Amino acid sequence: MATTVDPKQLDNTLDDPAERSPLVTGGLDYEGVTDAAAGVWDADRPPLLWWGLLAVALSLLGLLGACVNHLLMSGTGVWGNNNPVYWGWPIVNFVFWVGIGHAGTLISAILFLFRQNWRTSINRAAEAMTIFAVVCAGLFPGVHIGRVWVFYWLFPIPTEHLAMWPNFRSPLLWDVFAVSTYATVSLLFWYMGMVPDIATFRDRTRSKIGKFIYGILSLGWTGSSRAWHHYEIAYTILAALATPLVLSVHTIVSFDFAVSQLPGWHTTIFPPYFVAGAIFSGFAMVVTLLVPARKICGVENLITIRHLENMNKIIMATGLMVGTAYGIEFFMAWYSGVEFEKFALSNRAFGNYWWAYWIMVSCNVLIPQLFWIKWCRTTPWFMVIVCIFVNIGMWFERFVITITSLSRDFLPSSWAYFHPTWVDLSMLVGSFGLFFTLFLLFCRFLPIIAMAEVKSIMPHGDGHH
Amino acid sequence: MSNETENQTAASTEDQELVGLLAQFDDPDSLIAACNNAREAGYKKMDAYTPFPVHGIDPALGIKRSFLPFIVLSVALGAVVIGLGMQWYTNGGSIGGKSTDSFWPFPGYKFQISGKPYFSLPANIPVTFEVIVLSSAFATFFGMWIINRLPRLSNPLHRVSRFKRVTNDKFFLMLEKKDELFSETESRAQLDSWGAVAIEEVNQDLTDTKLPAWFTPLAFVGALLLMLPPVAIFGAYGANSRKPRLHVVPDMDWQHKFKTQVLSPNVGTKDNVDYLFIDDRAMRQPVEGSVAFGSMMDDSEMFYGIKKDAFEASMLAKDARFQLASTSSEDKDGDDAAAPAEDVSQWITGFPEGFEVNQAALDRGQQRFNIYCAVCHGYAGNGDGLVNRRALALAANGKAKWTAAKSLHDPVVKDAAKNPTGRIFDTITNGRNTMGPYGAQIPVEDRWAIVAYIKALQETGIEPVAAGESTDAEADTDAQAATKTEDAKKE
Amino acid sequence: MHSTRPAKITSPIVNLGELQSRLTPLALIVGAVGLVASLVLAFNFQRFSFIYLVNFAFCLTMCIGCLFFVTISHLTRAGWNVTLRRIAELYAMCLVPLAILFLPILLPLLFIGYDGLYTWSAGGWSVHTGDAELRTQLQNLAHDKLPPLEQLKAAYLNSGFFAIRWVVYFCIWGTMGWFFLSRSLKQDQSGDKHLTSKMQAFSAPAMIVFAVSIVFSSMDLLMSLEALWFSTMFPVYFFAGSVLSALALITLTSLLLQRTGRITDEVTTEHYHDMGKLMFGFVIFWGYIAFSQFMLIWYANIPEETFWFRYRIDWTNGWGLLSLVLLVGHLFIPFLAMMGRTMRRNRTFLFGACIWLLVMHWIDLYWLVMPQYSRATMEGTSAMGFISIISDLACLIGMLGLFFGIFCLITRDKPLVAMQDPRLGEALNHEVH
Repeated sequence: MATTVDPKQLDNTLDDPAERSPLVTGGLDYEGVTDAAAGVWDADRPPLLWWGLLAVALSLLGLLGACVNHLLMSGTGVWGNNNPVYWGWPIVNFVFWVGIGHAGTLISAILFLFRQNWRTSINRAAEAMTIFAVVCAGLFPGVHIGRVWVFYWLFPIPTEHLAMWPNFRSPLLWDVFAVSTYATVSLLFWYMGMVPDIATFRDRTRSKIGKFIYGILSLGWTGSSRAWHHYEIAYTILAALATPLVLSVHTIVSFDFAVSQLPGWHTTIFPPYFVAGAIFSGFAMVVTLLVPARKICGVENLITIRHLENMNKIIMATGLMVGTAYGIEFFMAWYSGVEFEKFALSNRAFGNYWWAYWIMVSCNVLIPQLFWIKWCRTTPWFMVIVCIFVNIGMWFERFVITITSLSRDFLPSSWAYFHPTWVDLSMLVGSFGLFFTLFLLFCRFLPIIAMAEVKSIMPHGDGHH
Repeated sequence: MSNETENQTAASTEDQELVGLLAQFDDPDSLIAACNNAREAGYKKMDAYTPFPVHGIDPALGIKRSFLPFIVLSVALGAVVIGLGMQWYTNGGSIGGKSTDSFWPFPGYKFQISGKPYFSLPANIPVTFEVIVLSSAFATFFGMWIINRLPRLSNPLHRVSRFKRVTNDKFFLMLEKKDELFSETESRAQLDSWGAVAIEEVNQDLTDTKLPAWFTPLAFVGALLLMLPPVAIFGAYGANSRKPRLHVVPDMDWQHKFKTQVLSPNVGTKDNVDYLFIDDRAMRQPVEGSVAFGSMMDDSEMFYGIKKDAFEASMLAKDARFQLASTSSEDKDGDDAAAPAEDVSQWITGFPEGFEVNQAALDRGQQRFNIYCAVCHGYAGNGDGLVNRRALALAANGKAKWTAAKSLHDPVVKDAAKNPTGRIFDTITNGRNTMGPYGAQIPVEDRWAIVAYIKALQETGIEPVAAGESTDAEADTDAQAATKTEDAKKE
Repeated sequence: MHSTRPAKITSPIVNLGELQSRLTPLALIVGAVGLVASLVLAFNFQRFSFIYLVNFAFCLTMCIGCLFFVTISHLTRAGWNVTLRRIAELYAMCLVPLAILFLPILLPLLFIGYDGLYTWSAGGWSVHTGDAELRTQLQNLAHDKLPPLEQLKAAYLNSGFFAIRWVVYFCIWGTMGWFFLSRSLKQDQSGDKHLTSKMQAFSAPAMIVFAVSIVFSSMDLLMSLEALWFSTMFPVYFFAGSVLSALALITLTSLLLQRTGRITDEVTTEHYHDMGKLMFGFVIFWGYIAFSQFMLIWYANIPEETFWFRYRIDWTNGWGLLSLVLLVGHLFIPFLAMMGRTMRRNRTFLFGACIWLLVMHWIDLYWLVMPQYSRATMEGTSAMGFISIISDLACLIGMLGLFFGIFCLITRDKPLVAMQDPRLGEALNHEVH
């Protein structure tokens, strides 16, 4: 069995060029990894804290359900959307959640292609988080269409009575395709990665129902080398597909704004800038979730400080990219000489919503700079605080882009101030309930660590180290 | 060599059949060594089972590189065509001048948006890209499982309890019975010499493959039940209902607004009614002196056909506009001939300043005349339009009352002194005698165009035919002749 | 079974040796002759400045990309590419002498106020643009209320500030290139792993400064040629092309060196495979950036922006054809050709692919720069006569001659591979899974 070593005694964050620090600490062997990763699942009953968190999450989910019901019964007028701010909080929340939903696929696909071995411990949880975030994201435009019961009009389904098709030149329809493709591919990717680990559960479980369910879900996986061979090729292909996909999704979300002519929306930097922002917020959310989760699930030897430190470095790097994009936008607004652009940008910083802009800048650009200090990026409780600020900042970034630009369009006579209603607020809070409910259930019932992948990067695993 | 034999079932009964020998190893390196040994010994039908993909085992087992990438590539190339084709078809793209919007049974639909072309490649790249990725991902995912012959829920390996460790920390090599070199004793000895920690027989339970007796009827019932929802949906398609419809969005169906001509809200009590506004109406009057959009009729010649000085003079009198604009109502009952001579000096005799008489105006006038006027007055203006003829026929049988439409070639109508252009304009605008007003349907410019066309018609020299005298046949020829003249004039 | 290679350089020859003394004068002479021939054939200083800019930008972007390659390697603690890093370090060091090659662009602008190349250096450019329609639009725009655009932009676009900025850029790049090369060479002698730690520590802040320098230098060098036009994506576009060309250049150099029997043991098929993957990735990235930039401007259809693309996709003036060549040759063909694993592991194929990508990168720069010349002179395709093409190629050959002369001078007898990097073993044992 695994020898228990206090992870604090082992510092695997040392940056020694001569040798790579271990990614699994505590001297765990293969079996030890399995035991540690399946800890929460093995337990007869989950920890009390889990129940407590689930109760909170479920009540928030209930709030969301009530709000959605109220919305459907009364119409979208219950939101604060007005003229000219036709896109209010729902679109802000949508972009926010879709952005968060980028980290998982990024960790599984891009870091996989770059052979960043440290991704193996965190990718499963991050992928799960991705899917749950995309579910939350899909909710907002879903209910925003007004008549949700005819949502299928969004898809090219031949109908006689409608005699019409979607308009494929509309960026909003691109969104429908991008987000649904992304959700589907992420789900396939997640599930495919999980099959060998579900097989582990199948072979470990003692309950009859568990045997039945995990038996079906594991598809009869035996770990045959031939199967592994095709499986690895398929995994690489999916990663290679998911990489441009993850870029395309937030690119297309940025097209929603950037193909228009509205100052502050129409700027060509948007695609890479949105992608960088998405990675930024997604990683921040992963850190926010994993720091408590590794504690509750007892996987501190698998998700080590080094993993968290690496994530924090990426957060800092993407934060700087986002900051650079803010700067370019400002400079280019001046450089272009277009008075509308100049007004839009100065209005962001010094107009009615100046507070939102400066919250955004301080949370996204200034606060992550704390990660230059090693203590800040290796101390769990502190990094969670920073990451929560990052998430707040990224929510405000979408708020700034959407609302500031819309509320001051070309026609001064239609300028207006946007006030969110209680429904707006409750739905934002409620969406977190949905997200956390799904995540807590995942922690309890599915493998939160990609056990097979972690084993394959352990010193024995490669066979030639 | 280990003596452990943990088979749960009896070693060999009638229902058991040997599949192969399973050897356990404790670390990947010894497994790879064993695989190499087996390959060198000449075994072909064998497989290794590991908790994670072991690097370097593929050459040891002689596994060929997967052909999955080529499947995915071909699917992706197909998806390019499907993705682009779908958008081209559904958005009314055209080929050789023929658009898909006329295709049966699901025509394409042309969206006219910002004057952009119906099909333009840059705008269709994003969706094409997503279609490619989605199809490729499906091909990868399902292709991989199909190549691996999974899902396979019943596998004799799962009957070996030791094999449960394969998903945890142990490594296995199985030599299959199907292999030519396989012999139970020799192979066992070989595996033993290659360093196996334990060796087990893998047996297939032949009863495993039989379906339970309850399965078939239950599956049949289940399939029937599954068919119910689609049947119900198709049944409801196009069905009528007498019940009031479901109000999903009450706010949308019963909106908080005042409709036209209703009372303003009652701010008093139920008994002591006190409406909010003093005139009790919910609708408000426009501010004094405001002019509705497009209602600025400041040029009397243009808008009323009345000379400017005459209009100004009459404006001095109260309700002048009413009198001037509604001359028709005054002599509604009087017979035209018997009525006292009408003062026509107020009407303009030419055309207003803003209206230019040219070929375009005449063409427009002809078109409008044929739409609005010809039904009664006839295409040639002879007063023999279809409606007029039908009505007269009915009137002759006493089935209707009808005042015949005037021929525009009637000397009185034709006489510029008695019927100046301004008066014709007024006639069209407000109607005259039994003719109804057309001011609401025909814009001012078009009315003047019709006036111009009428004047042109009157110049053609067509002989007036007394209304009601022409037979159907004659009328037809007349109309044809008139159309011909018009066509000639057009050219 | 796998055997681990010891972390030791085993190739018989690891430096240029006598090749350097033979090549240097030849390259420099070819360079000088080529440039003079180009100027003579062009018979027109304005045209020569434009084509000189294309070729200067070609060399500059490759070096900038190499500098990025080195910096990102240290930033990510990469081990696999240690054996390729020295080549990139040497090219990055070339940024120092490249500053001299920038003088033919900078000096006429600075001292005689030459406005043939950067039209913003003359007054009234905003209303003296080639396009009559646009000119009218701009005149309408610049009615009494608004000051003309050149007045607004003069604070940034003036020759003095331009010169200061370029001094700063070259200082940044030169310092970075020198820092990495000198530390790395020192490590060749001592094998001190702390030098690696220092370079890693330096790489993070250096990357930030580098990013800012790329943003502004790309705008100064190429975007400001059309002083009216602006696109926030442009620096990213510039960056994508730079890195792609640098990857091709590093691979090509390594392949050539190995053909002459140098560093034969250190760079393996596994490294080429990974370089091929990276090039493949950057081909897609370039396509992504290029498409996004075009798409957003095309879709929004705002006159201030579209004119730049409209001129370049116009079939009547010939530039449309070049745009198509770029789309097919810079994106589609490399994308399909480099997709396969077998292709990426084939050295002969990779050799051809690198040359192809470099040619495409040159065409990309030509496409960015030269339409400005035909706009300025309102010549359209007639500016692209046979003699002109010869002049362009002469300029390319000349500039490449100078560039490789510089490279040889910088390299001299320095080892072409990092001799004692702490991660050498990792690189030598690198395997693509």
